[in-house]
Amino acid sequence: MAGTAVLGRLTWLAATVAATNEETPRVHTLTLDVAGWGCHRAGQHLDVRLTAEDGYQAERSYSIASAPGDPLAITVERLEDGEVSPYLVDDVAEGDVFEVRGPIGGYFVWDGDEPEPVLLVAGGSGVVPLMAMARHRAQVGSTAPMRLLYSSRTWDDVIYRDELATLGIDVVHTLTRQQPPGWSGYTRRIDDELLREVAFSAADGPRVYVCGSTRFVDAAADGLVRLGYDPRSIRTERFGATG
Amino acid sequence: MTVEERVLDGNAAGGLLLELFGVDLTAAPCMCGGCGAREEVARLDVYVDCPGVVIRCRHCRNVMITIVRGPERTWIDLRGTSMMEF
Repeated sequence: MAGTAVLGRLTWLAATVAATNEETPRVHTLTLDVAGWGCHRAGQHLDVRLTAEDGYQAERSYSIASAPGDPLAITVERLEDGEVSPYLVDDVAEGDVFEVRGPIGGYFVWDGDEPEPVLLVAGGSGVVPLMAMARHRAQVGSTAPMRLLYSSRTWDDVIYRDELATLGIDVVHTLTRQQPPGWSGYTRRIDDELLREVAFSAADGPRVYVCGSTRFVDAAADGLVRLGYDPRSIRTERFGATG
Repeated sequence: MTVEERVLDGNAAGGLLLELFGVDLTAAPCMCGGCGAREEVARLDVYVDCPGVVIRCRHCRNVMITIVRGPERTWIDLRGTSMMEF
């Protein structure tokens, strides 16, 4: 990993909300204008800091959804009882300002110049940094095969549902709680058999990115190792249950 | 929430470490002072809801890094880390 270190002090910058978009009732995308923001890499995240009138501050990390070079966007899921996400999903409006810092991360990134197949495994809003990779692949014209295995509770919970079908990658959905009439896809949580059916052969040397809740990530990564994947080829990012 | 559900990974500490060290450490190899396992910081277990931030070895659970922030200063305990490369 030598050479991946990014030099430079991290400072808080003012982010102005340029646009909001409802992906699902619980999940919104915010496009941000940030003066002084550098270019990010697909898969990185940023920190958001909110400051209350009494000076109380709350910080959370959010994955960057946009491809490098596109206007900076984050996608946020409202977590009940959260300190930050309910504001970002329900209350924020165009023109509002809050602080961000980043981009952050040199491990859970895909730069688009590697030829190996890429397996993306997403649980719920874990799809966000993987979406940045899929968008980046389309943008740079990468021919690396890319496949997304995406676990959602219901069809209406699928984030980026329409756009995912337009990016030229294989998308395999599993809907674990409720399925629309006539659904012929997977209906269960990710298990070893499902991974075996969907994942590239370990012999093809795929790069793997798994993002979701801690439980989801551990289950998917452990299953891939049992399929013969090199643990070092599996990059994971767990997100927390406090938002 | 169980302890297992609270655990995050080194990506979650990326912003804090970048702020303190001026370098993105998530991809930096780091050797556990307990068992000698060598992993990138992103692959370590991180607890952010302690008093401070606690980073543990994913193999032997040894506490590798503890970071506590005060209003005007920061304390970093690295006793559990034998090497960090960046």
